[in-house]
Amino acid sequence: MPSVSDPILPFLLMDAVALLLLGAFATAMPLAVVTIAAAMTSGLGALLCLPPLLLGAPATSFGIPIGPPGLSLHFALDPLSGFFLLIMFLAGTAIAAFQAVAVSPTQVLSARMTAFVVAGTAVSLLAADGVALTVGLAVVCAAIGYPAHRTRVLIPFVVLTALCLLTPPGYAPRFDAIRAAPIDPDRATATAALMVAAVGGLIWPHGVGRSWTRDALRAGVVVPIGSYLLLRVIADLPGASTQAWWGFVLLLAGGAATIIESWLSAVHPDIDRAISALTRRQAGLAMMGVGLALIARAADLPGAATFALQATCLTAMAGSLAGTVASLSAHTIGASAGTYRLSRLGGLVHAMPVTSAALSAGLFAGSALPPSLGFAAFWLSFQSILSAPRTGGLPSQVPLALAAAAIALSAALAIAASVRIVGIAILGRPRTPQGAGARESKSPVRTILLSLAGASLVAGILPSLLLWLLADPAIRILTGLPPDRQAGLALLAVSSSTPGYLALPVLALLALMTGAVFLLPRRSRKPAKIVGPWTDGMPPPIGLPFGDPAAQLTGAGFLPTLPVLAALRRPRLPSLPPLPRPRASAGIWLILAAFGALLLVLGVIG
Amino acid sequence: MTILLSLVAQLLHIGLMIAAAPTMAGLTDWLDARLTGRAGPPVLLPWRDLIRLSRKTPILLESVSVVSRIAPAVGLGATLSAAALVPSFCLGMALSPLADVLVVAALLALARVAAALAAFDSGAAGPGLSQQRTDVLAVVAEPALMLVLVTLALMAGSFNLDLIIGQQREGILFPAAASAVALTALLALILADIRAPDRGAEDMFGGVDLAMLRTTRWLRHLLWIDLIGGLFLPLGMATAETGPLPWLLGLAAWLIKLGASIFALSGVHAMLGRIPRHGLIDLLGVAALLALIATIMVLTSLGTA
Repeated sequence: MPSVSDPILPFLLMDAVALLLLGAFATAMPLAVVTIAAAMTSGLGALLCLPPLLLGAPATSFGIPIGPPGLSLHFALDPLSGFFLLIMFLAGTAIAAFQAVAVSPTQVLSARMTAFVVAGTAVSLLAADGVALTVGLAVVCAAIGYPAHRTRVLIPFVVLTALCLLTPPGYAPRFDAIRAAPIDPDRATATAALMVAAVGGLIWPHGVGRSWTRDALRAGVVVPIGSYLLLRVIADLPGASTQAWWGFVLLLAGGAATIIESWLSAVHPDIDRAISALTRRQAGLAMMGVGLALIARAADLPGAATFALQATCLTAMAGSLAGTVASLSAHTIGASAGTYRLSRLGGLVHAMPVTSAALSAGLFAGSALPPSLGFAAFWLSFQSILSAPRTGGLPSQVPLALAAAAIALSAALAIAASVRIVGIAILGRPRTPQGAGARESKSPVRTILLSLAGASLVAGILPSLLLWLLADPAIRILTGLPPDRQAGLALLAVSSSTPGYLALPVLALLALMTGAVFLLPRRSRKPAKIVGPWTDGMPPPIGLPFGDPAAQLTGAGFLPTLPVLAALRRPRLPSLPPLPRPRASAGIWLILAAFGALLLVLGVIG
Repeated sequence: MTILLSLVAQLLHIGLMIAAAPTMAGLTDWLDARLTGRAGPPVLLPWRDLIRLSRKTPILLESVSVVSRIAPAVGLGATLSAAALVPSFCLGMALSPLADVLVVAALLALARVAAALAAFDSGAAGPGLSQQRTDVLAVVAEPALMLVLVTLALMAGSFNLDLIIGQQREGILFPAAASAVALTALLALILADIRAPDRGAEDMFGGVDLAMLRTTRWLRHLLWIDLIGGLFLPLGMATAETGPLPWLLGLAAWLIKLGASIFALSGVHAMLGRIPRHGLIDLLGVAALLALIATIMVLTSLGTA
């Protein structure tokens, strides 16, 4: 029976190829053409994802006879890939459009990076076999990590090895072949270990230089694809073969990552790095969500697994939308004020009100304050812990308690970090003349930032509707529940008869109370008397009639810095010879190298 | 009729919370003074202060933004929303479906964030430093509070406050030891909040804005006491559909619990005296640890049941 996905899948592939070509020939075209075309192509991709998601279309697949015999490329569009494609394309559209209208002239390498990363991610998300997935990931890793981190190109091969371990002997690493055959639990365990290492390497960089494009792409594109890889390769493909204790490993690894990243965000002196740490925190939360889903699924508790997967989907969405708008706003502020150092910013709410509002909205959407998207994910995470299995005694229950503590601590730290960023950089008075000279961004930039901020705020008000429309079919496939298109518009709950989290009524209550408090004393309220700053009775410093701006807090000392842990010795890889600047032919060589590695791995595994 | 009764009970509850918060603050100050051998201020002094402040001309720094103009109202609105969800004298009020313990804790966090942003908006060192210290304490206090609430939710199988209190009233929340540990953690959190020396944004506001900030603080203290009374001592609580007579009994029980709580907190304050700032962090750390232990106790006990 024909599905609505059938004609859309080839178009999505063409979309990805068009982005690849844009990236390959970026230097041969005017920069504005590249960025605008990339934005339009990404936007088209997002629009193409909507019909299959909204109609709940079943999966469809598509083969391209490229590659060695038996190893041709296969692509598929199913509800899980559709959901992640949508949020990835939305973020890609915003980033490419921002590059087209950014205040500072965007370098061609940044535009090329965006096109390649979005294209590679699209190929990875549409991939239905290990080779296509490896090719897509290779493009992403090469684009985002090159030239500082050449070792990152190993990540696709780690993923390929993981998939080959799941593949039955004698078969190509196709997803349908993996699903059809029984999988040895030991191999599933090795696959899970390799995938955690690969996703960790993809999301958590070491010593990467400053690049706002990379930060925005990591928030909007790379963090969601990390969540997708965990869901696809650990939860979906091996089915029940993944042992429950891997859920505990993911839970503890994600918990540690989310606490460390929140803490780093609350102490880092630069606004862009603090925001980047907040977006990586979302990856830790998503990892915890996958871990909780595995634990619940192993205990045959589809309800608890559903909550955990819903939390993962909302976390990915919050990380993508809110992280992108926060990263882009931070870059706009840094470019206008001439510095990213929090202690040299301040008072931007007067000079850049729209950008400041967008940054605040992005941080709010990612935090655990109601009624935000982050709070809905936070509530669902706790609901999945509440519904988690109660078997196994102390060894299996202590990780659940620690997970609850990690989620709560991470939420409190993230709120403190967000308050610090907004309070120091946006509020108060300018701390330096350069900061005082910051000017609001241009109208198109403001439109992009406000659109993203608005989308992330609206998503927080209607999380249940979003889950129902966009993620429900994917979650039902992963949990094995039958399709059901009945759900409340604003209710996240165990069942329709049980009280749950109602974002819209909570917002209405908050607005009603705040409005009443704000308006009731207004009749008797006298107009405020505006005065200068109080300097404790002392005359203001000479030349500073409004007080010394350096007397304000600088954001230091919010939390003590984390102790530097003795890092494990990383294996020393043979140093690569200096490579020339990337050319269009580099992608072809990369694909050939991927095929070679695949053949080698298949030969080893048999 | 049931809907109407639940609506009336809800409005009565909100009015009661607004009326009781300043009165409780006055009573606490008076009792603190009496227990240390002083005459004490009038019990209704906070009310007089509120009226006086609302008549004063507000003073605003010229450098502040719209955040300072709306933050006191947002903080009070969020705390009032949380207070409306925590039952005082009866269960089954109109907003009971919204009464999720995580929502209540997060609304309190939202009120603190509003006050923090107002303090930073002033650009003055004093309020900002004071608020920074408050925020550091909150990094420990908020996870501890959430863990306590999650512990009780694990025992009841739901995050809904009415359901948790209902089960506690029927005596079916187990294990009792975990409940006692959670209560101890919650008491430590309340003590740390009530005795915290920093006032944050209150140092930079005057007039009606200061009145709002003070009301927010008093309302939060009352909410803490209500939370403990409801979760651990739900004696005499009526249900909304039973009508006015049981409500009166519930009201009397609530007043007794409130009076006993104020007396107990003042007694502890008289015995311990002022808690230094580093002592507050220790106290909150102990509360967080107790909350984690309570969570583990509940999870493991359910596992072996």
